[in-house]
Amino acid sequence: MSTQYSILFKQEHAHDDAIWTAAWGKSEADVTETIVTGSLDDMVKVWKWSDEKLELQWTLEGHQLGVVSVDISHNGAIAASSSLDAHIRLWDLESGKQIKSMDAGPVDAWSVAFSPDSKYIATGSHLGKVNIFGVESGKKEYSLDTRGKFILSIAYSPDGKYLASGAIDGIINIFDIATGKLLHTLEGHAMPIRSLTFSPDSQLLVTASDDGYIKIYDVQHANLAGTLSGHGSWVLNVAFSPDNTHFVSSSSDKSVKVWDASSRACINTFFDHQDQVWSVKYNSTGSKIISAGDDRAIHIYDCPM
Amino acid sequence: MASFGWKRKVGEKVSKSVVQQFEAEAEKAKDVGPSLQDEEVDWLHASKRRREVLLDDCASKSKRLKDEGAQLAEQGRHKEAIKKWDEAIQLTPDNPDLYEMKSQVLTILQEVFPAVNAAEMAVKYRPLWWEGWQTLGRAQLNMGEVDLAVRSFQVAVHLCPSERTLWQEDLAWACRLKKQHIGTEERTRQEEEAQKQILNAPELEQDYDFESDEVLAACEAVAERQTRYEEMKRTAVVIDAEGNIKNVVTGDGGSEDTATPSKEQFVKARVL
Repeated sequence: MSTQYSILFKQEHAHDDAIWTAAWGKSEADVTETIVTGSLDDMVKVWKWSDEKLELQWTLEGHQLGVVSVDISHNGAIAASSSLDAHIRLWDLESGKQIKSMDAGPVDAWSVAFSPDSKYIATGSHLGKVNIFGVESGKKEYSLDTRGKFILSIAYSPDGKYLASGAIDGIINIFDIATGKLLHTLEGHAMPIRSLTFSPDSQLLVTASDDGYIKIYDVQHANLAGTLSGHGSWVLNVAFSPDNTHFVSSSSDKSVKVWDASSRACINTFFDHQDQVWSVKYNSTGSKIISAGDDRAIHIYDCPM
Repeated sequence: MASFGWKRKVGEKVSKSVVQQFEAEAEKAKDVGPSLQDEEVDWLHASKRRREVLLDDCASKSKRLKDEGAQLAEQGRHKEAIKKWDEAIQLTPDNPDLYEMKSQVLTILQEVFPAVNAAEMAVKYRPLWWEGWQTLGRAQLNMGEVDLAVRSFQVAVHLCPSERTLWQEDLAWACRLKKQHIGTEERTRQEEEAQKQILNAPELEQDYDFESDEVLAACEAVAERQTRYEEMKRTAVVIDAEGNIKNVVTGDGGSEDTATPSKEQFVKARVL
């Protein structure tokens, strides 16, 4: 176990163009750690993380345009990807084969997120609707309407109770999944919210915006619990550590920052990327962080436990 | 006899207004010079202040030139507009607005390569600006660089996905052209193949004992191939509304329809 934050591994030229999205999953079947990345080069790549290095397992072709978002199911068996070509594709991570391709309709597939039971995939749309697709059926099952603007970011709470969406005009909506009711509408930021994430105990919601700020909300009371500044440009992605005490953010100022959730202080900054950092995630134990961005590189960092 | 030589004009590379401004500044500095000499002069801060004033001056002057250029462009006086903006660029070389507007006007003037260059400068100085990428994509499309245009439009959409025209006009249009491009390439390959077959017909390659019906059959095959080739030359690859590739018989010579997304082009003034 390491005692300080440090960069562990760099995969230069992981894609032929900017990497827009990354996900880190763990297979229940064989306990292997899998990383999925999506890029402007239209490709989805599947990497195995073992012996402290990345190994390319599959290059998944199919999308006609850049890949905007990827997610891995909670059992680590399936990956979902969405692209500017308006399709959501499901991939079998074991075989590297495409399972399904779902036409979301023009401009109607942006961020994708698996539900905690991995039976559904939620994606935002341009009319402010959150569309829920069935993994089994491959069809749109239902949708939640924010009556707002284009939805850039989506997150399920780990306890399965809530779904939060962040819109291009900075509005945050929180839904009760069981009833489908809109619980809260928060005027969080004045600029696009490119990412949001729940804490593992589902008590906190962290949002990242083009205004350069990160905000923390108390989910139950819909109170603003804190506003964090530190990034010099758009905050592009946030992810919570599984240990519930830290979260990480990435920005177009080329940095990756680790924050303490209770003190709300930035405790480490990585300045290793050459360009905007579009995606950042923790692994399942919180011992590692992955980041990827416009410089086509994937970085893995060590976290003290 | 007059001697011939290359003479470099003073200030050829430096814009006139900058020179004038510099001279005026120097003049002013001279004026205040003597009066200051009696007192103790804080040179360090004075020069610093001078620089700030100069920078301030450049910015406001550049802004004025930018607005003047925008007005000229609106009146359709494109070349004059570019002149103004070039002056402004001399004063503030890292202002992306100037490059972006210049690129739009260069595109109207069909100066395709300079238009791409200008837009590239715009996105270099402000990479998170979707409008800069849109203009770059349009300039690249104009130059026939369809793949690069598709990439630029994707970057723009990724930065600002709520912009409908980006999806519906720019990206969709560029993707259609890309498809058409691939279709045309495939067609060219087919044509070349057909031509090759006419010149070295496979029927003539085998040994013949020149029996009349064999020769006749070979001739017929060659003739048929020739008609097919002629027909192929008369058709053009087009893409219908659903994006399917079709071959359509045209009149004499295929005329490629490469209209720009909107015939009516105008320069958007960037106010930021």
